[in-house]
Amino acid sequence: MSYTELTVWTRGIIMDKEGRDIVNSISASARIEGKYAQAMENYVDNPDRTNAPTRKYFRVSDDVIENELTYENEQPNIVVLVEGTMVKGWDYMRGMPPGGTLVINTHYTPEYMIRFVPGAERLAQLVCVDAAHLADHKWLYYRLGELGLDRLSTEGAAERSKAIAPDIAAPLIAAVVKTTGIVKMETIEPMIANKRAFEMALDQLHIMKLNPVAA
Amino acid sequence: MATVTESKKRTVRINGCVASAQAAKYADVDVITAYPIRPYTATMMALAQMVANGELDAEYIVADSEHSQLSIAHGAASSGARVFTGSSGVGVQFAYELYSPISGSRMPVQMMIADRTLDPPGDFGSEHTDALSTRDMGWLMGWACDAQEAFDNHLMAYRIGEDPRVLLPQMVCQDGFFVSHITSDVELPDPGQVNEFLPPYKHPYPLDPRHPVSHGPQIMPEQGPPLQLERARAMEDSMAVIEEVHDEFANIFGRRYDPWVEEFMTDGADVVFFMQGGHAVTARFAIQHMRDRGVKVGLVRLRTIRPYPTDRVQEVLSKFKVVGVIETNMGLGSVSSGGVLYAEACAALYESQQRPLVVSFMAGMGGEAIVLKEFYWMTEKMTEAQKRGKIEKRTHWVGFEE
Repeated sequence: MSYTELTVWTRGIIMDKEGRDIVNSISASARIEGKYAQAMENYVDNPDRTNAPTRKYFRVSDDVIENELTYENEQPNIVVLVEGTMVKGWDYMRGMPPGGTLVINTHYTPEYMIRFVPGAERLAQLVCVDAAHLADHKWLYYRLGELGLDRLSTEGAAERSKAIAPDIAAPLIAAVVKTTGIVKMETIEPMIANKRAFEMALDQLHIMKLNPVAA
Repeated sequence: MATVTESKKRTVRINGCVASAQAAKYADVDVITAYPIRPYTATMMALAQMVANGELDAEYIVADSEHSQLSIAHGAASSGARVFTGSSGVGVQFAYELYSPISGSRMPVQMMIADRTLDPPGDFGSEHTDALSTRDMGWLMGWACDAQEAFDNHLMAYRIGEDPRVLLPQMVCQDGFFVSHITSDVELPDPGQVNEFLPPYKHPYPLDPRHPVSHGPQIMPEQGPPLQLERARAMEDSMAVIEEVHDEFANIFGRRYDPWVEEFMTDGADVVFFMQGGHAVTARFAIQHMRDRGVKVGLVRLRTIRPYPTDRVQEVLSKFKVVGVIETNMGLGSVSSGGVLYAEACAALYESQQRPLVVSFMAGMGGEAIVLKEFYWMTEKMTEAQKRGKIEKRTHWVGFEE
């Protein structure tokens, strides 16, 4: 039986939807492919606060998922950091079995970023993608106005946009799918709103292959 | 002659909170009253969007507290409206004063509960204590174990509570997170099916200036007992209605629930879990694995706790050697010094000719998931008790013992 966990670390409110788009679109694709799949937010991280770290989870299995009600991914095989500076400060590698994949949204190279990764010896690959640049280099500036708004939480709130992955989530999804094959490219591609960023990312990944050892 | 039209039935992937909001929409509620508290808030957010988008024609009133929220619900129901409200955790507690007046005036208000642990300290996690602490206030009450069952329970509860033989409010409960925030496939029915099942609500004595009636006046002590007796009888009489409505629901929607208890792999079982709510999902997996290893274990899931199906619980639980009650609630200083489900299960079994041993497990407290290995541990405690012929102690705190 094949069972895989993916955990996305993102920042509350300003990048929350981006995190949700990653797990929701991959989960929907996995179900289309006939797998058992589950996507959810970390219940304890919510309600989210601006910039505070929040986690989104995805699980996929060939068989019924029996730990459906366990509210955290305990052994993430794939970890995605939606914002590059999250590489420092949180133990996002906790529980990762040897052979994992870490995807970071950053303009730095994997050779530079790996020094900040705790427990990097478990990684089979470190993938860097400049998602902010590929999607829209001004994306965060558009959001700065929202930082001043008293938005209490995105939990349950109406989405600004119903589109899936209109900005930085698109290159990150491309990076995950291309480097892990967790779902088929042709299944997920039609769901993605920002096709240009998605396609561009496929050719602009910086992948560092590693030889994982048990932590 | 019936005309064949295309069914608008569809399956969507939603969580328990949204399933409850959808149920309120399908029930075409007239008044919604809200005050935010996690985790049930997501239901009210979904309903606010439906009202704003014009999908649902209802008054949406945001109260200044849960006490006001239930007061508004009471007033709206008294005018003859179909009312939907809800809360979680300490929010359920803050409205406590209103529970008896609403059932006492026989207003079939519906309240969605997504459980949350009571303070202190602030904990989002699910424990059933919030709703269970109101269990004797004259509200019909039961737990769903997934989003589909939550949706279905809402429709059935309106139909039962609004029946002229019943006229009682209903708490339709689901575990916070485990049901409220886990998405699964939910079949939304054709609106025509719902119209057939749940006709528009009509209270027999609404407040109406054209036909003045008095609700809730001050009374003399001797007028009290008959009113209390009537409310108690309404609770008893609801049992036949609950059975009828579950049958009719199955005929129209094709999903049949036992109104009182779900039995899972109880054939030939020596020991069984007795529990409510979402953790039953994991219990079923655990039981399947243990059955594969030859352990004779099963599950009895209580679906309705008010009215309490005493005879049915007695009949079902008497078949086994050991019953392990999984509480997921706090009964501090109670009979078992554990939760509150134990006492009622034991009372139901008291008149049985063949009483099983009963042991209580404090598990899923604070909103922790009950994982497979904890079900295995609890099963071991039960099989040890079976071999020994007596229980080691009444209450085990799971995770705190070897």
